[in-house]
Amino acid sequence: MTADPRRDAGAVWHEAFTLPLVLLSAALLGGLRIDAAGGLAFVPPTLFALVLAVMLIAVLHRCGALDPARLVHPRRTGLANASGVVIVVALGAAAAQMIAALTPEEGLLALVFDVAWLVLIGNTLAARPDRSRLLSSLLVMFGSAFVVKFILLGALYAPDASLTKRVVMALVEGVSLGALAYQPPGPATGYVIFAAGLLFLAGIAALPHGRHPGPADATDPRAGEHAAEWPQVPAHDGVLRRRGPGRPVDRPLVHAPPPS
Amino acid sequence: MADALPALDRNWRSPAVIRLAGLGVTALYAVFIVWVYAAQPRSLREMRGGVAASIGAYRIDAAAFDEGLRYFRTDRFAEARRAFARADPAQRDPRTQYYVAYAFLREGWGRVYADDALYRQAQIALQRALAASPDGVVRVDDPDLALKSSDEMAETLARGLRRDVSDLNPLAMLEKRP
Repeated sequence: MTADPRRDAGAVWHEAFTLPLVLLSAALLGGLRIDAAGGLAFVPPTLFALVLAVMLIAVLHRCGALDPARLVHPRRTGLANASGVVIVVALGAAAAQMIAALTPEEGLLALVFDVAWLVLIGNTLAARPDRSRLLSSLLVMFGSAFVVKFILLGALYAPDASLTKRVVMALVEGVSLGALAYQPPGPATGYVIFAAGLLFLAGIAALPHGRHPGPADATDPRAGEHAAEWPQVPAHDGVLRRRGPGRPVDRPLVHAPPPS
Repeated sequence: MADALPALDRNWRSPAVIRLAGLGVTALYAVFIVWVYAAQPRSLREMRGGVAASIGAYRIDAAAFDEGLRYFRTDRFAEARRAFARADPAQRDPRTQYYVAYAFLREGWGRVYADDALYRQAQIALQRALAASPDGVVRVDDPDLALKSSDEMAETLARGLRRDVSDLNPLAMLEKRP
């Protein structure tokens, strides 16, 4: 057991309520499309979005933004593991829905977006940045996709000549859209997806991570043993290190200048 | 009694209870999300009605339904459909949707030809009625109706939309209005 039961209860609450509800809300809103007449449609993710979501979860794991051993582990209680599984499933659903929401539904633009997602996520997987850089990178990736789909493409293909459309057309003077078909979503959809994106990124930032295990579950009599498996490593040598299952060798996360 | 209250308070804050409550709430929310994606409500009103219907709390507006029935019996089908739409805003009541389908059918029926567009709308309304019906069939015991079940209406609509040599039969003009 850990020393602060109130903090433990807060963390259990966070794992049992906050994370699943935030991620499921992102999944629900990510599939919502509102047309110009106010009609609703709930669109499930494409198969490719599911594949990209799995890749994104792998990125989160490899970069230290998600520690699966803190969610599902033989030493945790059954209820704690069930909570962990729910979080992972909700994360996958939210990731798939967000990627699908920020990708055009059909046509050549959908292919271009899909290739861009694949390259960006694959590149992040290979580069293996640390958690804070990964979060910044995801913010830029999802933010850029939002701006391109809902602001630039939305303005370019809007039926009326809005100010944004005139500005964008002036910037790309001489370029014709030709046969590049695109059906812009209703204006309200952009606001919903923006909210869903914020929820999703907040959920990712709040995922269990870090250098020591989550608070012990009072129902787990072996919580003390569990804690001993992930010893905190002091950073006195200027190198932050993480230990845990599947990580027998410490990996430097942040390099500080050597002591003079 | 005084000792029992803090113990109860401690129990409610125990991680096992919090996790169990969290799993319950999350499961309910997940079921709602799956239902929303499966049922595809087209408006918030339909969503509210669908949720109410799934817990057996959905009721149609009886006054609006009676008004629709009055319009229907005097062959004012457009007005009847508006009143039925008011009576069943979530389109979850099989009987009301059956009458909506019937209004499209009667309006589209003609001695010489059937209006395909109206017949197709009747089919869509009939599908809604069937989807809302728990046993997959709708039966309405109304002496004013010639077709008293969804099976009869589905077949009449399919026959009206079909193109074959029976369309040239002059005796078809003597058929009674459904």
